Amino acid sequence: MELFECSAADLARAVREGAHSVAEIVEVHLGRMDRLEPVLSAIVTPLKDEARARAAALDIALARGENPGPLTGVPVIVKDNFCTRRIRTTCSSRMLENWIPPYDATVVSYLERAGAVLIGKANMDEFAMGSSTEHSAFFTTSNPWDPSRVPGGSSGGSAASCAAGYAPLTFGSDTGGSIRQPAAFCGIYGFKPTYGMVSRYGVVPFASSLDQIGPFARTLEDLLLAMEVIAEADEKDATCSRALRPDFRKALDVTDLKGKRVGLVREFEGYDIDGPIVDALARARAALLDAGATVVDVSLPTVSHGLACYYIIAPAEASSNLARFDGVRYGLSAEADSLIDLYHRTRKAGFGPEVKRRLLTGTYVLSSGYYDAYYNKALKVVAILRDEFARAFGEADVILAPTTPTLPFRKGENIGDPIKMYMSDLFTLPANMAGLPALSLNGGYSDGLPVGIQLIGPRWGEMEIFSAAAVLEKALGAPRLAGGDL
Amino acid sequence: MAVGEKEVRHVAQLARLEVDDGEVAALVEHFNTILGHFERLKEVDTSSVADVLDNAVVTPWRDDEVRIWENRDEALAQAPDRDGDYFRVPQILEEA
Amino acid sequence: MALTFQTVIGLEIHVQLATKSKLFCACSTDYIGARPNSNVCPVCLGQPGSLPVVNGRAVELAVMVGLALGSTVQQATRFHRKNYFYPDLSKDYQISQYDLPICAGGRLSFRDDDGVEVSVAITRAHLEEDAGKLVHPSADGRLAGARYSLVDYNRSGVPLLEIVSEPDITSPAHARRYTEEIRRLVRCLGVSDGDMESGSLRVDANISQKVSDGRWGSRVEIKNMNSLRSLERALEYEVKRQRKVLGEGGEIRQETRHWDDGEGKTRPMRGKEEAHDYRYFPDPDLPPLIVESDRLKGIAAVMPELPWQAESRLVSAYGLSDDDAKIFAESADTVAYLDGCIRAGADPKRAANWIRTEVLRVLNEQKIDLATFTLEASDLASLLALVDGGKLSTTAAKDVFDVMVRDGVALEPAMTASGVTAGLVEGSQLEDIADKILAENEEAVEAVRSGRDPKGKKVKFLQGLIMRETRGQADVAQVEDLLRRRLI
Ligand SMILES: [Zn+2]
Repeated sequence: MELFECSAADLARAVREGAHSVAEIVEVHLGRMDRLEPVLSAIVTPLKDEARARAAALDIALARGENPGPLTGVPVIVKDNFCTRRIRTTCSSRMLENWIPPYDATVVSYLERAGAVLIGKANMDEFAMGSSTEHSAFFTTSNPWDPSRVPGGSSGGSAASCAAGYAPLTFGSDTGGSIRQPAAFCGIYGFKPTYGMVSRYGVVPFASSLDQIGPFARTLEDLLLAMEVIAEADEKDATCSRALRPDFRKALDVTDLKGKRVGLVREFEGYDIDGPIVDALARARAALLDAGATVVDVSLPTVSHGLACYYIIAPAEASSNLARFDGVRYGLSAEADSLIDLYHRTRKAGFGPEVKRRLLTGTYVLSSGYYDAYYNKALKVVAILRDEFARAFGEADVILAPTTPTLPFRKGENIGDPIKMYMSDLFTLPANMAGLPALSLNGGYSDGLPVGIQLIGPRWGEMEIFSAAAVLEKALGAPRLAGGDL
Repeated sequence: MAVGEKEVRHVAQLARLEVDDGEVAALVEHFNTILGHFERLKEVDTSSVADVLDNAVVTPWRDDEVRIWENRDEALAQAPDRDGDYFRVPQILEEA
Repeated sequence: MALTFQTVIGLEIHVQLATKSKLFCACSTDYIGARPNSNVCPVCLGQPGSLPVVNGRAVELAVMVGLALGSTVQQATRFHRKNYFYPDLSKDYQISQYDLPICAGGRLSFRDDDGVEVSVAITRAHLEEDAGKLVHPSADGRLAGARYSLVDYNRSGVPLLEIVSEPDITSPAHARRYTEEIRRLVRCLGVSDGDMESGSLRVDANISQKVSDGRWGSRVEIKNMNSLRSLERALEYEVKRQRKVLGEGGEIRQETRHWDDGEGKTRPMRGKEEAHDYRYFPDPDLPPLIVESDRLKGIAAVMPELPWQAESRLVSAYGLSDDDAKIFAESADTVAYLDGCIRAGADPKRAANWIRTEVLRVLNEQKIDLATFTLEASDLASLLALVDGGKLSTTAAKDVFDVMVRDGVALEPAMTASGVTAGLVEGSQLEDIADKILAENEEAVEAVRSGRDPKGKKVKFLQGLIMRETRGQADVAQVEDLLRRRLI
């Protein structure tokens, strides 16, 4: 077994036991990246020198008998909207193409503290707006299962690089499905925690009330290991909970689901869903029943309005969050003789078409006279949806749902039709609106493409999801490494 | 409600985002499509939703303590245009 | 029939709250004289990804003002984003409060210059962050004509409380008085230094005219009034300007005008009058701000005496004049000093007199405040006790006071150092002094003795010298008697 096939837990164990040096592990992963990157284009900024220096420092620390943390020696990759001090952070935008942040995101410092080695910054849709990485200002990432297809997005680079073995753990942000949809398309685990579980400080926001940071992994154990490192309180984020987090890895011991109720959302049945996804859901349902769970119907009558709410709330917040890119303090700055020209020209040159569309929509729905009809109305509909979820979780402990309506689509297939592209978020964005934890996991393969399915839990109900996932991993197997034939 | 060129240009002005004449038509179309989707929200009866705060999470109170940030030079180094310790911007008012 | 006019003024006062750190980050608020962009961090520099966290002390200070103004302190409030592009706003939005200000309603009452009671309703007081500062390197330091501008974010994020009045104010003088009262209040509460020159207290005024023929002139906003005097002058100018325009049948443009103190004029602000559309929405980075009732009670319990409460107490309990009471109530420190003196046994009126004339004079001369003043209230009280007991003349006491202040010493050593003893100078001590004075002024003595002092001027002169030598501590009758005996 090659080192790049190993799980993060195995690598950390090997390092602890002295079986492999960090330098060796990092070198193997950089080599994997080098070999596949010409095909996948998952990485905006590889960090070879930084990673080698860090590996050497960790090896010295280990030789001195220090144990820097639970991820010591584990290569990791973060989406390029995580601020990394002294390392450029682009959000895959011309606007920030040369921006070097003066500080680290909290999650980045937690990973560092745990001993992880950052080996690259992953490609994404510009400012996390998109579902395919085709909206990256630099290049489109390929799906490692079929390079003619997209890896999903917006965290497509993180998903593809984890699936292909650049690193066993990668990280992304999820505003409407941006972790789960690419995880499904790349055949790995992708988890969006409960809103407030993980600090958002230092992750360039898309929509602050919906964004959550989460991990990608190829084993459930790795996913939970990552959660234990990043799910910590942070006094720098007022929306991050100060409560103690559960011992996530306890879920690995779960072997049966007796007494647990798995909910199926009645309203999701009316949608046009690809056959292999329907089949995967059926397999998962059977496995959960086998483990002793019961299956119940739950109803979310308002869920069909989620898409409209999402495409009001997220652009509205984004229009304010991205106002600061004005050419004054950092990033792109156009030549201009007056301030007003500086603003207009900088933003025209710095933002791509999808970002512009959303900023304009967001500005419109907040503008005078429209606030109540759109933004305020959407907030109220979301409040109703939250109540419906709360009722549903009175009847079910966890919800089983598709992650996406389709298997990975081809590059260019949806790019000309923004609304169609938006549809791929249909099943993922309700969890963002209600602040719920949700996991995409691999439910099998169809003609060489992975098939993702989703588990949604109640607020702070991470353990319900992970328990069900533990049972499913035992029954259906862990995700396979992608890119074997590339 | 249909959105026209005038509205799109007004919104672009508010967003400080110059749009070319060529882009405007496509944006008008996009606006009308997406606003059409939004119209469906009117079907949802939200009269029962009180306009009150969701206090499930409350904002924490930070202690009033000063902490000095050490990386200020790195932040200033990112300024596109600088004059010593200052950020510099072109003239704020247009010529009269 | 001649038209008559009625002035309608509403004020928005921005008060910088006296916290150590900024409203949403831990940077220092002490920006005056600081190196540009030195009190900054990712939050107040608007770095992508940074997030605000509320300074609890700023909330407490806002609540104190609300309690003092009789506002409803709202237990559940929130912050909104006010979106507009300007280089002094590091995020291109300002975090402020919108639909749920921390303090709603309230009232401020005061006497005008003629002693007439005036009452102004408060609309609201809300928390918001200050912007950075722009420097315009044009010839006259103004925006117009500058080829470029410089931005310093040291002030970015300093907590502000914006106190908004109803348009209840009917004259420029009342606007000035209202502002004085707000300033006195925030100083007394210790929530701000309230200094207008340095910008800790900034006033914007909305002013319009109601005409007797039923017309109502548009509201004009006046900015850039950096002192109470310029506030009153600017509004007086604007009253005249608006009345002239309306009187000639013209219309008042709704606009923002800038007060030019040097020229004594208001001028329309240059630039496009773009209708503002701030696109307010609740800041998703900040969950609701809750002031729990225990916390509110805790703040109410430590509220200091308010200036108008102190003022009426000083009149009723100590018998001070209205004017004196007002001077004292200007600062909580001065009231506390007076209270301290009286608690230590001083006569209220004498203590008030001494503090007003002597203590405040020294503070003024030395440019210090009572916190750093060396003389304890109880020390002053023991000095005044000697005066009250007739043991020390006022003149002698002032000498001793000066030494106590200068050398930072207690009463006894100060008396020794200034050669003063307590009690009446009489008997042989007085005789020795008189003999010394007479010996030094032979000419005058000769004149009296030879009858060349018919009006008694020379006797008075000698008497004065003796009184001065005793620092006023001799009994005048005794001195007169002694002189009569010696000069026969
Ligand atoms: Zn700061």
